[in-house]
Amino acid sequence: MAKEGLGLEITELRLGLPDAEHVTVVNKNEKKRAFSQIDDENSSSGGDRKIKTNKSQVVGWPPVCSYRKKNSMNEGSKMYVKVSMDGAPFLRKIDLGLHKGYSDLALALDKLFGSYGMVEALKNADNSEHVPIYEDKDGDWMLVGDVPWEMFMESCKRLRIMKRSDAKGFGLQPKGSLKGFIESAAK
Amino acid sequence: MQRMAYTFSFPEEVLEHVFSFIWNERDRNAISLVCKSWYEIERWCRRKVFVGNCYAVSPLMVVKRFPEVRSIALKGKPHFADFNLVPDGWGGYVCPWIAAMARAFPCLEEIRLKRMVITDESLELIAKSFKNFKVLVLTSCEGFTTDGLAAIAANCRNLRELDLQESEVEEDLSGHWLSHFPDSYTSLVSLNISCLNNEVSLSALERLLGRCPNLRTLRLNRAVPLDRLPNLLLQCPQLVELGTGVYSTEMRPEVFSNLEAAFSGCKQLKSLSGFWDVLPSYLPAVYPICSRLTSLNLSYAIIQSSDLIKLISQCPNLLRLWVLDYIEDAGLYALAASCKDLRELRVFPSDPFGLEPNVALTEQGLVSVSEGCPKLQSVLYFCRQMSNAALHTIARNRTNLTRFRLCIIEPRTPDYLTHEPLDSGFGAIVEQCKDLQRLSLSGLLTDRVFEYIGTCGKKLEMLSVAFAGDSDLGLHHVLSGCDNLRKLEIRDCPFGDKALLANAEKLETMRSLWMSSCSVSYGACKLLGQKMPRLNVEVIDERGPPDSRPDDCPVEKLYIYRTIAGPRLDMPGFVWTMEDDSSLRLE
Repeated sequence: MAKEGLGLEITELRLGLPDAEHVTVVNKNEKKRAFSQIDDENSSSGGDRKIKTNKSQVVGWPPVCSYRKKNSMNEGSKMYVKVSMDGAPFLRKIDLGLHKGYSDLALALDKLFGSYGMVEALKNADNSEHVPIYEDKDGDWMLVGDVPWEMFMESCKRLRIMKRSDAKGFGLQPKGSLKGFIESAAK
Repeated sequence: MQRMAYTFSFPEEVLEHVFSFIWNERDRNAISLVCKSWYEIERWCRRKVFVGNCYAVSPLMVVKRFPEVRSIALKGKPHFADFNLVPDGWGGYVCPWIAAMARAFPCLEEIRLKRMVITDESLELIAKSFKNFKVLVLTSCEGFTTDGLAAIAANCRNLRELDLQESEVEEDLSGHWLSHFPDSYTSLVSLNISCLNNEVSLSALERLLGRCPNLRTLRLNRAVPLDRLPNLLLQCPQLVELGTGVYSTEMRPEVFSNLEAAFSGCKQLKSLSGFWDVLPSYLPAVYPICSRLTSLNLSYAIIQSSDLIKLISQCPNLLRLWVLDYIEDAGLYALAASCKDLRELRVFPSDPFGLEPNVALTEQGLVSVSEGCPKLQSVLYFCRQMSNAALHTIARNRTNLTRFRLCIIEPRTPDYLTHEPLDSGFGAIVEQCKDLQRLSLSGLLTDRVFEYIGTCGKKLEMLSVAFAGDSDLGLHHVLSGCDNLRKLEIRDCPFGDKALLANAEKLETMRSLWMSSCSVSYGACKLLGQKMPRLNVEVIDERGPPDSRPDDCPVEKLYIYRTIAGPRLDMPGFVWTMEDDSSLRLE
């Protein structure tokens, strides 16, 4: 078990270096496009925010007692990030702090979105219509699995399981990043 | 003449003995109305007193009438205080009660308080005044600190029950108040510290648990770490009810095996709660005891649906389940399939202020439970969509419901299938559930639903209404039709003066009425206060004296309750009692 873990880490390190170079090159080539994509998304979400702001919260509604509200607020101290999947009708939240690594994350995502084709997305990433990506501290969208787990955990702001066609538009080249983790976890 | 010779009364001793078998408060109250001698006998042998509103009667009246009380339960603030609708400092102070009882009831053994303000001084007075004090239950209370708890621990040698349920406690950071239980103290049966935020002294707690062989209930606070739980459980394997602290820690095999062994060692365990910050990998540790569980409160536990399904599917004997909406419809299907004895279900929202659904919980989950659980009586359900068809199905499936509280999170949400009001759905609930005692409405509703309620809600005792109705007729239906109504709370409804004044006498038969953000005018409140001297009509207005505005101006918050004690003496500046106000005017 420990050896397998070490093997995974070694594999990550090996893949990391050439991937980093490759990603850098890609980013240089399509920098403007990626930036404009992000701008569009921010603009869209900004519009959403304006709409949401119009719905003022009513005091005392819904009727959740003060004690419960206070205790739920402690949730803020957790490493919760939002997870969305294209095609799924709702967002989820996941606590990264409770997971040991990418394989745990893959299993958790499977549980959250399994009914929307997540299993297929993870097991056959090369052929799947969905690719997991995340937004890091700098606001850049990155492929899940490209950096060591601890780095990912520290910089991840939210997750998105995105359609492959959109991923290409983002300038990201999916390489089945979580595939190995799923197979490893299955053993 | 011959017949008269045979008439006689039982001696007082015999009647007192008979009365001692009658413990139900309402039956007791009925007995005391039969005749003067029964009144006298009953009042001397009354041991338990319940006061549903601490301002309905004065402490002195209670101690004069019932000289031998051993147990008292008091309620203070309106229920809507839970949702921040009652301003801080409104009242609910228990101090005058403790002072009066300390003088009059030296043999008092039990105090149960709900939504009251209690100070350390009052706790210290309790600790010193009642020689055989056994039970202290503080539910949704505030105003005290761990210093007060230390006084209770140090002085109440016969304490059996200390229950701090959802109370707000100012805590000494050292957590050492538990050390004030003397080493010779061994009588604890129930301890609930779940509402404390800070760490308690685990060594003191462990010693306490170890020397109390009759401990049955233990509810720990969040700060108790999971890896210390096994040691605590080893001290009290006789537990029947356990609330864990945090339920996650660094994953280590020995923690899991210790935990599993500790749970397996608790052969009497029937009830679980707590489970803050759950790490799913540790849930299998409780599987060995699941088949015995009758009560599960996971309403602060963030557990995803798939893990909940695994857990619930191993609890076939559940009578009560409280969960967050992470359970989703899929989990409720599993519940319906597994738990045939379920009587109570509560589903709380995990993201009540989110604008979009964060979980797949719909009306179908509740429908499936109504189909699969034949003994279901009590429901509290937060969701984001509902339909008349679903409500009709639920009503048809479960005519034995006594409590039905539905909260559709967005106000005025219509039937999501037909976009019509939910009148006929709730109408079916009140029509077919003949024993319905408590009802909470939500969603888009017209006066028609209140016609159903007024016509069919003959056993309804408590009704909660929000963002509903069209006119005074809605309120009139309720007040004129619900014969047994005791508590009515209304917010953001267009109900006004006519219905209130036309049913003024009804209000004297009720414990309380709360109305906020409605259309009741200040003038009507004054009229009501003058007309009904045994009602306290309290206008709550933090903006200033309502006299400064026209009489036809609606009041923001109104709380009306019956009382034989008159206006209360501890009113803050923002509460105006109508009768009192008019008398001031006379001056």
